[in-house]
Order: sequence, then structure tokens, then C-alpha cells
Amino acid sequence: MSDERGGRGSRWLGVVGFSLDRLWKRATRTRSGRIAATTAAVAMTIALLVIVTGIALALADGGVTTETDADVRVAPEDTGSLTAVDGVEGPRLGETNQRAETIAAADGVDHATPMLVEKVRLEAANGSDANGAASEPRTILVIGVVPDEEPRTVAGLSTGALEPGDPHYAGGTYAGAQRGEIVLSATAADRLGVSDGDRLAPAGLDPAEIADGDAADADSRPAPTVTVTAVEDAGGDAPVALAPLSEVQTVSGASDGELADSVLVWGDDEDAAAVAGEAYPEAAVETDAGTDPSSLFDDGLAFATSALALVVGVTICASFVATTTGMTVDQDRRTLAVLESVGFPTGSRLAVVALSTIVTTLFGALLGAALGFLGIEAVNAVAASTVAGASGSGAVAQTHPLLLPYAVVVGLASGLIAVPYPLAVAHRTTVLEEVGR
Amino acid sequence: MIDLHLSLRRTASTSGATRADDRDGSSEDSAAAVRLEAVGHEYGTDSGRLRSGPDSSVTALEDVSLEIRPGEVVGLKGPSGSGKSTILHSVAGLLVPTEGRVDVLGTDVTELSARERTRLRRQHVGIVFQRFHLLPSLSSRANVALPLVQAGVPRSRRRRRAESLLEEVGLGDRTTHLPGELSGGECQRVAIARALATDPDVIVADEPTGELDTTTGAEVLDLLTDAGRDGDRAVLVASHDDATLEVADRVIPLRDGRVVTDER
Repeated sequence: MSDERGGRGSRWLGVVGFSLDRLWKRATRTRSGRIAATTAAVAMTIALLVIVTGIALALADGGVTTETDADVRVAPEDTGSLTAVDGVEGPRLGETNQRAETIAAADGVDHATPMLVEKVRLEAANGSDANGAASEPRTILVIGVVPDEEPRTVAGLSTGALEPGDPHYAGGTYAGAQRGEIVLSATAADRLGVSDGDRLAPAGLDPAEIADGDAADADSRPAPTVTVTAVEDAGGDAPVALAPLSEVQTVSGASDGELADSVLVWGDDEDAAAVAGEAYPEAAVETDAGTDPSSLFDDGLAFATSALALVVGVTICASFVATTTGMTVDQDRRTLAVLESVGFPTGSRLAVVALSTIVTTLFGALLGAALGFLGIEAVNAVAASTVAGASGSGAVAQTHPLLLPYAVVVGLASGLIAVPYPLAVAHRTTVLEEVGR
Repeated sequence: MIDLHLSLRRTASTSGATRADDRDGSSEDSAAAVRLEAVGHEYGTDSGRLRSGPDSSVTALEDVSLEIRPGEVVGLKGPSGSGKSTILHSVAGLLVPTEGRVDVLGTDVTELSARERTRLRRQHVGIVFQRFHLLPSLSSRANVALPLVQAGVPRSRRRRRAESLLEEVGLGDRTTHLPGELSGGECQRVAIARALATDPDVIVADEPTGELDTTTGAEVLDLLTDAGRDGDRAVLVASHDDATLEVADRVIPLRDGRVVTDER
């Protein structure tokens, strides 16, 4: 039996199997407080990281324009191209009015509407605000949608105050009557100094000319006035407004090509997603309006929050792992000495220590991810019953499937950062000191 | 008492004498499984380059020479600090003496690198410690199979070999027990089975009965001596206990790191 039997591969396989077997039996058959301590420390750190990242995700959740109760959202695929010019428009969907009608007519779909987001400078049509002071033009984020009979939530505002349909579109001619309706968020109304029933006009028109007109014949004007039909709380402080789609397209020039930023679909998730996918095979079809994690990079506060959580998480996690596994290895010096005495070379002994550290950390990370998801639910539950419930701003933290691999990668990175310390402790172990005790 | 005469016998093809014959033409040298020539050792001489100040080294061995043949059981006798363990550790390649030459199966251990000494130990030397030094989280079977892991033996064969050895040392019904669930005598039997796992040519045992009562100690010694004589292995037992050394073919007394007389 004294000749070496296996090759390098089978020896390493044996060492890996031995490491995992020993770790498992230590965790299950013996009272191993150190393993539990390491796992718990990693799990708590990763759970906190997941919760804070979830909050950052909610912060970066694309702003108020994504506050919708639509079941499916169709948006152009990110082309990946970069521009050095801030504010350059991204890709938009074409033929949206027509295709949205097609989608809305499909089985399992209740309603579909293009959503066009435009920054428009508006001011009070009579040149003075509700207090009689001269009105200042304000930039408002106007969202063009096609309302139906059911009140829907788009950009945090209800479409219920808009008349159903979009007559100005008129089969693509954009020659139909304009309704001249607009629903303002409380912030937008406050900035413009207008209230329900007031009229607004695009900035720069002659007030005298506007004063002679009214909503009924506004379609004959290139830039008609609109009437505020409702002022609502959009759940945030963004100045947003809802208006009929084709009228916003006409003002912005998006009528040429029937452009829109996205198409919102209400109905059965699967049916709606399938129909939307057929209508726009090249576009991204998102179900239940999930948050795009890449939006973290677009929001300064969210990015800073998540980056800080990452740095703190990795630092604390690595420190915990290094300390607890270092102490474990210190207790295990005799085991390492025994391994040396039965013929395990230095590389194999260090591999046993490294594998034990990494596997324990990974297990802690998985546990932490699960705890983190539960924590996000708990945070939202607490927020809903306190601050978020009062302001109606919804979830304060969001989950995302990518948080799981994120947690595992962070745990793995922490383990790799921490592993030199237990390895150093293991390397300092001398067999004669340990077996001589 | 457990009869292990047949079960602990080894195959002739792997005996140390055969291997030594292959390596060295000298019939006198090849007869010795272990040979120490003018071995001296001082602790503290290699304790670090940064250490300064007066020399704090301690002489553990001085001009020790001895030979052990395959199938021979040799006892090392002496009080604490006489150098017994240092000789055992030198033979096992756990330390390199500062002077002299240590041959194991014709190979000078002092000329080998740490990795080569580890390989030599894995292939040819089994060690039995006073305090057993079993891994507490592993079963008896896994402890016995431990040396075979690094040897690259497949898991199923490791298990079969470990179970066979445990059966031979009378612990066939304790294969899945943890060391904490075994008595001291049973632990030492597991340790002996572990030392035999790779079918070594040399067994070194440091105070193997030091933690055991007289009856259990006698059983353990029988196992060791049977493994040596029937298996044609060189067995080196260190003890300060005369009763323990009675089983040896000869006893080498040590004092202050020197051989007092060789009773061969």
C-alpha cells in the first residue's frame, strides 16, 4: 500500500472531498460554534447589504414616470451606445399608436397605450397665476397617454380625469379635435401657480392671442391651450402631467413616426407579454415593471448608497470572516499538525483551510441573501404602515433576482479577501509544537 | 486480547528490506530500515534570522547512532528531555537534525526537501502519538483513511481499507463512531490503524501507552509489536515506562541526548 496510487487530480479530489466532508461533519455532528459564528456574521452582513441595495434600487427606480400599475411595459432595447452629450434622447418605439391599438384588441389584454415623455415649458395662459402675480414659464414632464374607460395609473397620476380615447390622432392624420386636457401633479400645479380648471399654454406665445381662444377651437392653433382637469398627488415631488398622447406628439414633433418612449399594457401578464412581444419583437418586454438594476448608475444618491453599502459590506464581511476563521484555524492547529504528520504537504493543508473558509462564507452569503429578501419585505411592511403609507409613495425597497448572485459574489469576494489571514495562521503551525503538547 | 498475527502481516513485495535492496548494493546497509549516524540536534539554532542576543539553543541529541532492522521492535528509554521524541521526529522526517545522517530505507532524510520528507513519511512511516491526535469531527473510519486521501486512493477503496484495518484492531463495530465516543484504548487502536493505512515500512510510537491503563496499554503494545514483527516493519517505541519497553527486542537508553548503552 505504500506506493502513491492516484494522480494529481485524484489527490486534489480527495483533499476537496475531505475538506467538505470535515466541514459538514463539524457543522452537523459536533458543536462547532466557530462555523456558526462565521456563517451568522456573513449572513447578517450580506442581509444588510441586500436590504440597503434594495433601498437604493427603489431610490433609482427611474423616477415618477415608472410609477404605473401596468402589467407589461415595452421599451426599446438599450443600444449600448454612449453619448458624451447629456440630455440626448434615447431610442424610442415607432408606430406606437397603431400597434398599441392592435395590442389592446388582443385576447387577454384590457388596455394598451403608448407613453411619450416630453419636457414642455408651460405657463398660465392668462399670463398670471392664481394669486394674480405674473406667471413664470416652468418645465413640466408631460406624459402622453391614451386613456380608456378604466382609470389607470401612469407616472403616479390617474388617467381617470382625462376623457377616454384620443380623437386628435384620427387614424394617423393628427387632424382630429384636440381635447386640450391635462392632469397635473400637485408639484407641477404648485410651480405653475395654477389649479383645477385653469388654462395653460406653451411658453412663448402671445398672451393676448391665447386669451381670445378657447379649448373648443384650440385644434386650429399650432400650440393650443390646455385646461387643467385635475390636480393629483403623484406620490413624489416631480412636476409631471398627463395629457392625450397625440396632442403631446403634435407639440413635440413625435407625431412623425408615431413615436413613444414605451408602450404600457394592462391585462393578463403572459398574454400581454406575448402580444407585446409580437408587436415589438426587437424591444424589451418587462413584466410587472421590474426595476432595472443598471438604473443605479444613473441616480447619484442611489449609486452612492449602494456603493457605500458594498464597500462597508465587503469590509465588515471580510473582517468577520478573517477574524472568526483565523480563530477557528488557531483552534485547528492540532488538526493541521496531524495532517502534516500523515503526509499532507503544505499546499494540501492550506487548501483545506481555504476551502473551509470559502465554503463557509458562501453558505453564509446564501443565507444572508435569503434573510435580505425577507428583510426587504419587512422594511416595506414597516414603511407601508408608517411613512410610505402616509405619503402614498409605495415600496421603499425593491427586490431583484440579480440580488442573489450579487450577494453570492460579494460573499465570495469577502471570503477571498479574508482567506490570507487564516492561511497565514495555518502556515505558521509547526507540527512538533502541536503534537508535542 | 486480540489475535492479530495473520491480519497485520504485510505483503513481501512492499517490505522495506526489499526496497532497500533495490536502492543500495550494500547488504549491511540494506539490512537496516532505519539508521542514524552521529546525529546531533540543537533546538533554537534556526529560530529566526531577526533574533539577536545570546545563543539560547538547547542540545537535544548528541552523537547518536543506531540501527533498526525490518521486523525489529526497538525501545527508546529515558527520562523527559533525554531526546527520545527528537529521534522519533528525525526518523519521521518531522525535523531535520542539525548534525549527522538519518537513513530511512536507504534514503538520507536530512538531504530531502520538506516536500520530499512529507512524501517519504506518507509512503513509508506511520506515526502513533501518546495523545492519539485523531480528528474529532471525523469518524473512526475517516480518521484511518486520512493518510490515503493525499495518496490519491479512491474513496471506495479508502473505506474498504479503513474498515479492514479497524476490523483487524478489533473495532469493526466502531467504524462510524467519532473519537469523542470512544475510550482511550479504542482511540489508540484507531491511531494504530491509521498509522498502518499506507502499509508503512517504519512505525514510530511516542509513549503509545502513556494515556492508557495497564491492561489497555498491553493490548495496544501487542498490536504494535505484531504489526512490526508479523509485518516485517521496523518499530521504534519511545517510553519512560519499563513495562512498556519489555515488549521490545532491544532497548536503547538515552540520557541528556546521548545513547548510554546499546543493549543489542
